[in-house]
Amino acid sequence: MDFSLNEDQLMFKKMFADFCTKEIRPRGEEIDQSEVPPVDLLEKAVDQGFCAALVPEELDGCGLDIYTYMLMLEEVARADMSTALILSIHNSLVLKPLIDHGTDDQRARYLEPLSFGEMIGAFALTEPGTGSDAAAMVTTAVLDGDDYILDGTKVWVSNGEIAGAILIFAQAEGGITAFLVDAGTPGLKVGYREKTLGMRGVPCNTLYLDHARVPAANRLGNEGQGLKIALQAVTLSRLGMGALALGGAERALEEAVQFSIEHIQFGVPIARKQTIQNFVADAKAEIEALRSMITHAAWLADTDQDFRLQASAVKLFGTQAASGITNRMLQVHGGYGYMKEYAIERYYRDCRALEIIDGTSQILQFLIAQDVYKAEGLEIRP
Amino acid sequence: MDFSFPKEYQLFRRMARDFAQNEIKPRAKAIDRDHTVPHDIIKKAAKLGLLGVPFPQKYGGMGAGETGYCILAEELGRVCSSTATVIGAHIGIAAMSIHLDGTEEQKQKYLVPLAQGTAIGAFGLTEAQAGSDAAAIKTTAVRDGDHYVLNGTKQFITNGDIADIMTVMALTDPSLGAYGGITAFIVETDTPGFSIGTLENKMGIRGSSTAETVFEDVRVPKENVLGGFGAGFLTFMKTLDVGRASLGAACLGGAQAAMEASIQWARAREQFGVPIATKQSVHFMIADMAVEIEALRSLIYRTAWMIDTGQPHILEASACKLFGSEVAHRCIDKAMQIHGALGYSRDYEIERGWRDQRITEIYEGTNEIQRIVVAANIFRPYGLRIPT
Amino acid sequence: MRIIVPIKQILDPSGLSFRRDKERMFINREEWIIDPGSKAAIEAALRLKGEEDEILALSVGQPRADDALREALAMGCDTAYLLSDEAFAAADVSVTARVLAAAVGRLGGADLIVAGRESGDTGAGQIGPRLAEAMGYAQVTDVVALAIGEDGIEATRRWGEGYAMVEAPLPVVVTVAPEAFETRLPHGARIMSAYREWDVPVWTAADLELADAALSPLLAKRAESFPPELEVGERFRGDPETVAEDVVAALKRQKAIA
Repeated sequence: MDFSLNEDQLMFKKMFADFCTKEIRPRGEEIDQSEVPPVDLLEKAVDQGFCAALVPEELDGCGLDIYTYMLMLEEVARADMSTALILSIHNSLVLKPLIDHGTDDQRARYLEPLSFGEMIGAFALTEPGTGSDAAAMVTTAVLDGDDYILDGTKVWVSNGEIAGAILIFAQAEGGITAFLVDAGTPGLKVGYREKTLGMRGVPCNTLYLDHARVPAANRLGNEGQGLKIALQAVTLSRLGMGALALGGAERALEEAVQFSIEHIQFGVPIARKQTIQNFVADAKAEIEALRSMITHAAWLADTDQDFRLQASAVKLFGTQAASGITNRMLQVHGGYGYMKEYAIERYYRDCRALEIIDGTSQILQFLIAQDVYKAEGLEIRP
Repeated sequence: MDFSFPKEYQLFRRMARDFAQNEIKPRAKAIDRDHTVPHDIIKKAAKLGLLGVPFPQKYGGMGAGETGYCILAEELGRVCSSTATVIGAHIGIAAMSIHLDGTEEQKQKYLVPLAQGTAIGAFGLTEAQAGSDAAAIKTTAVRDGDHYVLNGTKQFITNGDIADIMTVMALTDPSLGAYGGITAFIVETDTPGFSIGTLENKMGIRGSSTAETVFEDVRVPKENVLGGFGAGFLTFMKTLDVGRASLGAACLGGAQAAMEASIQWARAREQFGVPIATKQSVHFMIADMAVEIEALRSLIYRTAWMIDTGQPHILEASACKLFGSEVAHRCIDKAMQIHGALGYSRDYEIERGWRDQRITEIYEGTNEIQRIVVAANIFRPYGLRIPT
Repeated sequence: MRIIVPIKQILDPSGLSFRRDKERMFINREEWIIDPGSKAAIEAALRLKGEEDEILALSVGQPRADDALREALAMGCDTAYLLSDEAFAAADVSVTARVLAAAVGRLGGADLIVAGRESGDTGAGQIGPRLAEAMGYAQVTDVVALAIGEDGIEATRRWGEGYAMVEAPLPVVVTVAPEAFETRLPHGARIMSAYREWDVPVWTAADLELADAALSPLLAKRAESFPPELEVGERFRGDPETVAEDVVAALKRQKAIA
């Protein structure tokens, strides 16, 4: 077993780290305070291939394997969580499904603009009445000649108002179906932007579909394949949430360790206090565990094995670990951790989102339990 | 043993709850969003006697002791942590220090207006290099005729920019250090030389101000020495010791509000064809909240009773703050998880509660300091000293 | 000026629920409160009170009504009396009014009596008028605004779909509309004093020199039932276009839209 990074992976890791430290990291506070999506950073990121991470090299992409993609997300998250989330959604939830399920025509039309910064992707699954219970969605897609007419409302669509293309899921006659919809489509309106606790650089919008006409040529996969496509995309996305959690936790640890060395109380740096050391030790141990989990899951993915259970476990464990770690690292900062000039303040808020988005921890518990019992021949329902 | 509240406290709780729910709750969101202290609410509270709850009626207070004060703190904590913090700092540490250690003249001159709410109070201890290590303060007070001249900068002072009266800890003898070298002073903030520096931009309790206060040759009359000369350490320890109980009470209110919101949401929200309340993942979380809240409630009001009946209470009051803040954290975090994405949205009250709660584990003695206090009280009878 | 405010203690209706299928009322939370009408009466009296004036609160009730009177004291009343006796247990509104009249008499009468228009539980609305008749005072009911004038009181009362300004000489009984007076919260210090320092004397039937005959109710309850179910409003069914047209037509009929 060889856990070391190969030459390419090492090179990419360094490239990611350099770019993120130089370009993204200094912008974190301002992105959070202004709540303006860092579109300019994304444009810069395009040149480094961040927006085409998983696009095969023969299609002019980076052709990263899943593991290196996870390294990328980790580095971005370490620099800024909002930027990382935008990129994760774009790559895992829009580009990857397009690569896996797109027709040649669809790839010809969308891969380039999505890969090279003309378009950001968004993913519209959740509705006001259906969060965890996605299969019960009510948005409809009715076939009319060469088009589908889409009607309904989607909520919490991350990247919504900066997206050029949105992957929308709707109930067609044959079941839930995926559609690639251009942002300017008549009948599609990007509405209310949610005001969020954290991840404030990521716009989350309500989408209104009022007789929106989408060419059948934009249907991704067949009718009724939508949920399968969504699940596949979400599986990779969940692994990515683990990478975001890892990057966030590492940044939090880094901030706290530095602070604890510099901050003197009772005549010594607080790093000399056992409680602070214990907080740091527990965080480090969890970070190591999470890293190994991600590595293993990514390897399964890269060797074309089923990694769904591992992705769920990474998401469940990693996001809870990140919440706990950012919390304790904030405590290390004392009163300063509550002030907005300190990065830990926003990492605490940002990481909290990870336990909710992309499947709440409770849904993931259910999915993992379902898999465990299925292996024993018992079927459990939500 | 009678665990019921005497009737005057029951009526007082109804009044405090009415005030909090009708006057404050509808404003809580805007107070946070606009990042401003709700002065009009504070004035209305003062008119009802709420700014002097624990203090004797002869000093303009309500005469309701620590029990009454915890009731107020709890009801405020249910609706708006910012308001609870402004009033809490005013009553619990600023006015309280004068109540505990003031002379009759000082009480008449300063406690009365504070209790009646015609003056606002602040408590000035913390400095940039003296947080948990409160004894490391550097603000000095040098005798000059009939005055002491104060020089230095205090940091993270709640109400610092709106206070009329401030209890300030200063070094009167640097060579003696904490024990014997620190003296407490009552400072009128309109004294020349007093100014406000930075106003902090915080994660939560944004409707309370956290200010840097600067003292440049501020002349304080010698009559304003609070407590024993050189015994400032004792004064502030005493004040902080008792202040902790009511902080726990505010956390109790916040935890209760989080649980109630969760109950209502879990009943109303349906997924997979049923209210999510019927899912074990959800109702077990709520059950855990309820159990911890019950435990905290008993701890708070028993401690208040101990304080009101003159019993030793340092360990218990510290436990109130330590346990209360951590219970509040667990409750609001579970509430956020139960609310899903809506818990993360600033259109709903949960995320504000989550942000507001976090400071409770840090201010007025971090929970690490509280653990030291508790441990020290445990080992003291054995003659073992717990180091900081 | 002496102002007397009779108050009633009732079960907080927000703690009650009514189940038609079980044919009964459930007490989910038993909390006793000052009737909103009575509270409005206290508030109206407090607003009129000058330096020389005193407000006395009275209540006919069980011993627990002591709490209602303490709250009245906390709100600002000067004294309070609890009129309580087992003999009052079967009292209907005529008996209650007689007991109150006896107490007012014992106190030496009043310049102004302010009561709620009707109580939140029984809703008879008769205490004010019955008291006025018993005492021989003037009466003005359903008042939304009240002031002391040159020769007595100036009251604004509801009259049909509008209001009427009424002047009445003292002594007078006024009943107030509960919703017209936003009630104040009691001051904290007065709450403490109401229980710790002040007294609420209890007057029995004997204290009020009320014989059994005076305490026999006029009303006897024979039965209790739920009112018949009402179909409220008009229901429109059909496809959205038809329903929309029907709703518009109905609104026009109601003159809600032009």
